[in-house]
Amino acid sequence: MNGSFNEEQRDCLQEIINVAMGLASDKLARFLNTFVHLQVPSIALVGASHLPAEIETRYQDIEAAMVSQGFFGNEGLRGEAIVLYQMENAHKISALLGYEPGDVSEIEMLTDISSILTTTFLNGLAEQLDNSMSYSAPRILSSRNRDIAEVLTNTSFHWEHALKVDISYQLIDHSFNCDMVLLIPGEAVNHIKTILDRILEEY
Amino acid sequence: MSHIGLISPILAQLNSGVVVVDDEYNVHYLNNFMERHASLQLSQVAGQSLFKVFADLPEAWLKRKLMSVLDLKTPAFSSWEQRQYIFKLPHLRPVTSGSQYMAQNCTMLPLQTDAAGQPLICILIEDATDAFVYHQHLSRTLVELEKANRQDGLTKVLNRRYWEEQLKQEIHRAQRYQHPLSLILFDLDKFKDLNDKYGHLGGDFVLIELAAFIGTLLRDSDLLGRYGGEEFGIILPDTPLSGAQEVAERICKAVADYPMLFNQQTIRTSLSMGVAEMHPKAHVLHDDLIRCADMALYSAKRAGRNRVCCFQFGETEYQKKVN
Amino acid sequence: MALPVLICDDSILARKQVRKSLPESFDVEVQTAGNGLEALAILRSQEIGLVFLDLTMPELDGIGVLEAIKAEQIDCFVIVISADIQPEMQRRVMELGALAFIQKPVNEDKLHGVLRQYGLF
Repeated sequence: MNGSFNEEQRDCLQEIINVAMGLASDKLARFLNTFVHLQVPSIALVGASHLPAEIETRYQDIEAAMVSQGFFGNEGLRGEAIVLYQMENAHKISALLGYEPGDVSEIEMLTDISSILTTTFLNGLAEQLDNSMSYSAPRILSSRNRDIAEVLTNTSFHWEHALKVDISYQLIDHSFNCDMVLLIPGEAVNHIKTILDRILEEY
Repeated sequence: MSHIGLISPILAQLNSGVVVVDDEYNVHYLNNFMERHASLQLSQVAGQSLFKVFADLPEAWLKRKLMSVLDLKTPAFSSWEQRQYIFKLPHLRPVTSGSQYMAQNCTMLPLQTDAAGQPLICILIEDATDAFVYHQHLSRTLVELEKANRQDGLTKVLNRRYWEEQLKQEIHRAQRYQHPLSLILFDLDKFKDLNDKYGHLGGDFVLIELAAFIGTLLRDSDLLGRYGGEEFGIILPDTPLSGAQEVAERICKAVADYPMLFNQQTIRTSLSMGVAEMHPKAHVLHDDLIRCADMALYSAKRAGRNRVCCFQFGETEYQKKVN
Repeated sequence: MALPVLICDDSILARKQVRKSLPESFDVEVQTAGNGLEALAILRSQEIGLVFLDLTMPELDGIGVLEAIKAEQIDCFVIVISADIQPEMQRRVMELGALAFIQKPVNEDKLHGVLRQYGLF
């Protein structure tokens, strides 16, 4: 795999991701009936070996849950979205989704909100790339009783580098926030470059 | 060549359910899988409300999911791990599986229709009964494994490692809530003679019999563990020395009066027992408490066996502990 | 005479997208700026008829540019093109005197409609 993006590809990807974020937060704001605070998503190429330590540092000493959802589109576009929550936030989700207390389990709430955040964002991304996405069902990788660091260290990654997009969601009325980490690993990074080059050619 | 003609036979053969509803939750389509499992005919239910056709659906919950599909144009999911099934259907292994209904993974997908058309949702129902059954087996095995990990293989009482773990926790709890806590250590008198006379099988038989018998004399909260070869311990939470002594005396007498039949021979045996109470003010490590009970046990042995001795904190002993 | 137009966005792609979305027969002379400060420097020194303005930018954001245009009474039309389209933001932008608010990714028909509506094209 040949390393990093050139300046134009990077600019193009950042813009497309910013716009996808804008589309998603508009949809989410309407659906969840709350103002969604936007931060400019950050993009980086990361090595597999650095990822566990990075996420671990961010969630040190915090009880956190981690939900993963795979996605795949045309032209070799594929990856995994990981959504991370602080567990002290978890009870806010049921109110957010309009569930009655006791209606659903904590795990179901986490997978529901993750799926909504992930798929609204990725659909917006796909739309701009003239692509369309399919998704796997969301899965809890760790929750209250399992350590995130432990889960990540026990995961052997089959890729060396991945394109990583960090997005943080802040839902103002509910003072709820979570982080989404989008990982597009290995060969799929090259496919993204091809797609970006095609878009750049159009303009 | 167009493949359109293939779609309908494939849908008919598919081992997954396909249900299509509109934005008012009226049924537009069911594939054969759904027709057969739910004993329905599409022609009879088309246009009717999904919640009328399948009366057992979790309506409020499902509507919320379907609403998110319509509003956000994104898929929604449900896993058997959280909700065993959405559609109450019989499954494909009616004979060899223990569960009654088909465990399901469901996906609710927004269907691409022309802009003017009515929005539709496709609900895919995958049979996850096999995974569900495996998972049940696994859970049972894990419970058994955990039990095996705590148990002494021969006597089925707690093994030493787990029993000591429990003792540490009980000491911690007693200190925290300032509750009394006592410990009994006991050992079978002249076990070596038993082994010599009846063989190792006889010795093992006695250990098994007595462990089970003593277990019946204890409260649920008392923790009986095998500490060594013929040495056992009982943790008695919320029990002061006097109470523990009573328990020990009762066990000691009952065991002495308990004949065991092995290979048509009656075996009688007795116990030497040491009792110690955790001193609430002194900071006792679990080793310290065991040592105190052990000292009392040796006093019982020295005094002629088949008896109970209690460890009393002497002034000097107590000073030593505090320092 | 060609209309002097300024396209202000920190993304090269976004600037190109706007440029390409303009009607072919629209007689314009386009300049670009990569952030709010660059945009203001151009607006203060030259006559610009129409500005396409992004909101989220480094150095000085779109709101800052709109505030400066209002305060310094710079004479130009502003069409905001932004990814952040929540109602609260739209209200603020319109209050600051923007002509219209267009959602990213910019839609050609929508843009042409706005230009026609205000007689710019």
